Amino acid sequence: MLDDLKQAVLEGEQEQAIELTQKALEGGTDASTILNDALIAAMDIVGAEYERGDRYVPEMLISAEAMKGAMGILRPKLTEAGVKSRGKIVLGTVEGDLHDIGKNLVTMMLEGAGFEVEDLGIEVPAKQFVDAVREHEPEILGMSALLTTTMVHMPDVIKALEEAGLRDKVKVILGGAPVTQEYADKIGADGYAADAASAVDLAKRLVPQG
Amino acid sequence: MPELPGLAAKPFRLFTQEEVDKIDRAVMWTLEEVGIQVNSERARELLMKGGARPKDDSTLSVPEGLVREAVERAPSRVVLHGRDERHNLELEDARVYFGTGGTVLHTLDLDTGERRPTTLLDIARVGRLVDALENVHFYLLPLYPNELAKDDVDVNRFYAGLTNTEKHIMGGIYSPEGLREAIALAEEVAGGAEALRERPIVSFITCTIAPLRIDATYGDFLVEIAERGLPVAIPSEVVAGVTGPVTISGSIVVQLAETLAGLTVAQMANPGTPVLLGTVSTVMDPRRAGYLSGAVEMGLMQAGVAQMAQHYRLPLYATAGMSDSKLPDAQAGYEKALTALLVGLAGANFIHDAAGPLEFCMTAAYEQYVIDDEILGMVMRAVRGVEVSDEALGLDAIAQVGPGGHFLTNPHTLEHMRSELFTPRVSDRDLRERWEQNGAPNTRTRARGIAKQLLAEHRPPGLPEATDRKLRERFSKIALPEEEARP
Repeated sequence: MLDDLKQAVLEGEQEQAIELTQKALEGGTDASTILNDALIAAMDIVGAEYERGDRYVPEMLISAEAMKGAMGILRPKLTEAGVKSRGKIVLGTVEGDLHDIGKNLVTMMLEGAGFEVEDLGIEVPAKQFVDAVREHEPEILGMSALLTTTMVHMPDVIKALEEAGLRDKVKVILGGAPVTQEYADKIGADGYAADAASAVDLAKRLVPQG
Repeated sequence: MPELPGLAAKPFRLFTQEEVDKIDRAVMWTLEEVGIQVNSERARELLMKGGARPKDDSTLSVPEGLVREAVERAPSRVVLHGRDERHNLELEDARVYFGTGGTVLHTLDLDTGERRPTTLLDIARVGRLVDALENVHFYLLPLYPNELAKDDVDVNRFYAGLTNTEKHIMGGIYSPEGLREAIALAEEVAGGAEALRERPIVSFITCTIAPLRIDATYGDFLVEIAERGLPVAIPSEVVAGVTGPVTISGSIVVQLAETLAGLTVAQMANPGTPVLLGTVSTVMDPRRAGYLSGAVEMGLMQAGVAQMAQHYRLPLYATAGMSDSKLPDAQAGYEKALTALLVGLAGANFIHDAAGPLEFCMTAAYEQYVIDDEILGMVMRAVRGVEVSDEALGLDAIAQVGPGGHFLTNPHTLEHMRSELFTPRVSDRDLRERWEQNGAPNTRTRARGIAKQLLAEHRPPGLPEATDRKLRERFSKIALPEEEARP
């Protein structure tokens, strides 16, 4: 059963993954066993195949979607059992920028890795980021920008977090085509990732498993 | 002898007429049935005035009749002027011109080879270099001045371009105020608004956002530029597999729908205003879902759009001659040559990004401009094709030399060798001994030497002194040192 579920996630069959998760729970398998032995085991393989260049991004995304579907059923059970999520992340594209594909990719990948993600969408002003950090208390705040002209709003958000007294409560990470590690360092962010897969690595590094 | 700019290709055809018609029907279906999201109020009103109907809060269904009417109204020939008339670009049919593009944020420093942020000085100096490079036919402002505040960027970019080359200047725009300042600057140089409309020495770019969106800011820019009657390119930037179908023909449909929607907005704003259909589209790297600039499929896609633009009898702003390599190396050479050749032979009119850029169009290198000038010279030679006149066949010469002789000193050879054969400047054709005597330099080293020499020696005529003084008085934000404006 768990092998079938693992296979369903590898192949990106969301409906099947949901159904098999349901059956496994009904059959008495406990939630964290399903999570670790089937879902995370599958996503580890997905990650390794991606790293080798054998798995393309669309194939990785459908696996993440399947994982997310299964997690929808599993999460309440995990909460009941007192198992915490991998971590909470608030994400958005900065003010003036309506590009969302990169950010959506990152969201899917993070969810696939077991993080809880609050996606604020596009053209998010500094105040909204600050409010979301206050409300959701995430471990990580992620900002995305595709344009050189909107990237400049990133330091505004960091400043607004400082002014709200929240800067030391959350790690700030950046992504997007014009953003670089140098830029992230310059404006005082905690991390930068060049693509969705390395964003997951970065998040895992910043939020060590407790 | 340099290759002539603006040669008409005997275009290579990717599609049969049946396929062209099929793509055309698919484009019209997409505009009408799927619709286009228009986030600019002004653009939206214009399309609705023409008969577009709202599908929901933001998406408009654009009827075929409205698009066809706009295609008819738009000029089939757009002339972009150089400050010097010999650099005019006559964009129509399958005439081919190549030039720079961007906008890149980093350059490989000419002295150290290190990657560093681009500055206003780079815009001036690359402009001067481009002025000297004969196969780079226009200067599309390729670099972003990282040290300037956003509101100062536009007027400074256009000023640095106009003062350092007499070739046509095109550029993207970063703020509404910046657009107005750049136009005012160009009017001052051209001799007034009317003179600029008649002899547009500058032109603009407003992008659509794939898939099938017109952004609020760019939509407003588009309407404003069209109302002023200045030329504007409306490129669509689909990344096949991400913001368009992964198939080349499917992505061609999406990008044509976008750019034709933009063209329709412009023609509604000002019937007959000069517009270039546009594409910067490419395919994704499936391993990263990232943008690629050196993929052979990009060349095919751009060539296909060129054929479609010729079908609509509209001039095209196309893209080729880029590379994903991080430095001027073998990969840069073959990627650039392949895409530039495909798109040049397809007869695309205004082919940008063809000189300078590397690394997904995020970095440029001075020596790369020199190498690309050479690639483009060869491509233009290929575009010129093969003449089969009586004179070219040279039967008299064949008879004069006869079996067993040689053609080296025959008048026919002396008459034609300089025009028939492209003469490279960068490529090494020496025998090994001589190459070794010269220090066995590789391509990049040779190109760097040429770039340094051209920058040291080439002195393009700047603006008339009185004009320049006026500009500096009127725009206090001009930041380029005087010696860089009047080199």
